Amino acid sequence: MIDTFSLLLTHGLIFLACWRLLGRDDLDREETGASIDFLGRRRSPPADERTTPGA
Amino acid sequence: MRDLFFIVFLAGMFGLGLKRPFILVLVYSYIDIVSPQRLSYYLLNSIPISLLAFAAALGGWLVLDDKADCRFSRRQGIMLLLLLYCGYTTLHADFPVEAMAKWDWVWKALLFAIFLPLTLRTKLRIEALALVMVLCAGTIIITGGIKTALGGGGYGSLNLMVDNNSGLYEGSIISTVAIAIIPLILHLANHGTIFPPSRWVRLFAYGFCGACLLIPIGTEARTGLVCAVILAGMMWWHTRRRMLYAGLGALALLIAIPFLPSSFTERMDTISEYQADESASTRIQVWMWTLDYVRHNPLGGGFDDYLANSFTYQTVQKTETADSVKVERITVTDRGRAFHSSYFEMLGEQGIPGLMLWLTLNLGTLVQSARLYRRYRDTANAQYRWVAPFALAMAQGHIIYMIGSLFVGIAYQPFIFMMIALQIGATTYMRRRQREEDWRPIIAGGAVQTAR
Repeated sequence: MIDTFSLLLTHGLIFLACWRLLGRDDLDREETGASIDFLGRRRSPPADERTTPGA
Repeated sequence: MRDLFFIVFLAGMFGLGLKRPFILVLVYSYIDIVSPQRLSYYLLNSIPISLLAFAAALGGWLVLDDKADCRFSRRQGIMLLLLLYCGYTTLHADFPVEAMAKWDWVWKALLFAIFLPLTLRTKLRIEALALVMVLCAGTIIITGGIKTALGGGGYGSLNLMVDNNSGLYEGSIISTVAIAIIPLILHLANHGTIFPPSRWVRLFAYGFCGACLLIPIGTEARTGLVCAVILAGMMWWHTRRRMLYAGLGALALLIAIPFLPSSFTERMDTISEYQADESASTRIQVWMWTLDYVRHNPLGGGFDDYLANSFTYQTVQKTETADSVKVERITVTDRGRAFHSSYFEMLGEQGIPGLMLWLTLNLGTLVQSARLYRRYRDTANAQYRWVAPFALAMAQGHIIYMIGSLFVGIAYQPFIFMMIALQIGATTYMRRRQREEDWRPIIAGGAVQTAR
């Protein structure tokens, strides 16, 4: 009974958290301007891909 | 029924991962921490879900993820060296069969920890991993906490859903981990964006922290109590109203003591009486044996080389009668006693080079957390207000781990490697953000590109 409650609670929350990630653009990209690549060069994303970071 | 539940849950998670590949990384973290295959009875045992999840996470990152922001930090390099060195000692192990069995899970834990920071490119990913990690540990901790509250605890007898007490399901390990994640739980409750701060979030977080504190009581693991006291001290130091919290803490302790099971208070009394405790005196013997072993084998003996130890020692036993206390010295012979300390585990198994690498990794994690904390403690930028509390939570959790490690053999614990990977992810992420903000075009061409 306790095991089931704990499993349902935590697994429900893990699933809900991942579900909420689906609607968040800042999961994969958050730069408002350009980023710097591994050689230190500045990379600017196209304007239509620019998104604002999450709260 | 439980099998079906796990299959539906995992299918759902893999389904979400198809939409957002980073979720596959979270799925592997979940499988590594919770081990659902050990909680299920038949179905999941027959599928190599851990391998499937790792292949999916790695494949998703290789094919679909943006790798421009990836950085390979020094600490990932140290973990890679440690992995290679563990491979070397496994090939030359004193107990090749046992060493191979341990190597089988250690290399996966290290490889995943090396890979994980490469995927932590955004703040939300860092938060998501931290959240999933604490909720996964919560699967074991909430069960244990409720059972302890209902009087189901006891040394070695608290049922944490599985009979097999390995991994996080072992009493001393879960006690240390439960205390180490408290600062992270509180941080997520105060600064989370997936579950933003609300009355319900705080209620759950406080209940969760309560369950974490009950775990050392339920498992009667003395290490957990030591960790809890140190964490309380660290958290108290960072509060604004120290006198008020000191008073409240003392009051809470006074109220709680009568409710503690007598077996718990009796066991905790033995912290200072190590001579009368076989478990504690054996540890000291094992540690002395390890030092002697390393003197002759400075490169280590490979995984599980403690199996070679054997020693005879005397312990004191007190027998109380109605009007007297009889003190007896008993001779005990022990063979193959585990290290009961991560430091000695590393020293014995991986020798001086392994211990140096492991210490550098752990101390480096502490130093980097402290640096992040100091740098962003007084930041005026609202975007970075989460950084200092996060760094502080990571530092406090890591200090607890390193103190717990004195008495528990958790040097290769996958959960801890994930915590280190999380910290590396946060450090490299903030370093990158800082570089982006500090960047100024030197020539006109650069300015044109920025303005594009």
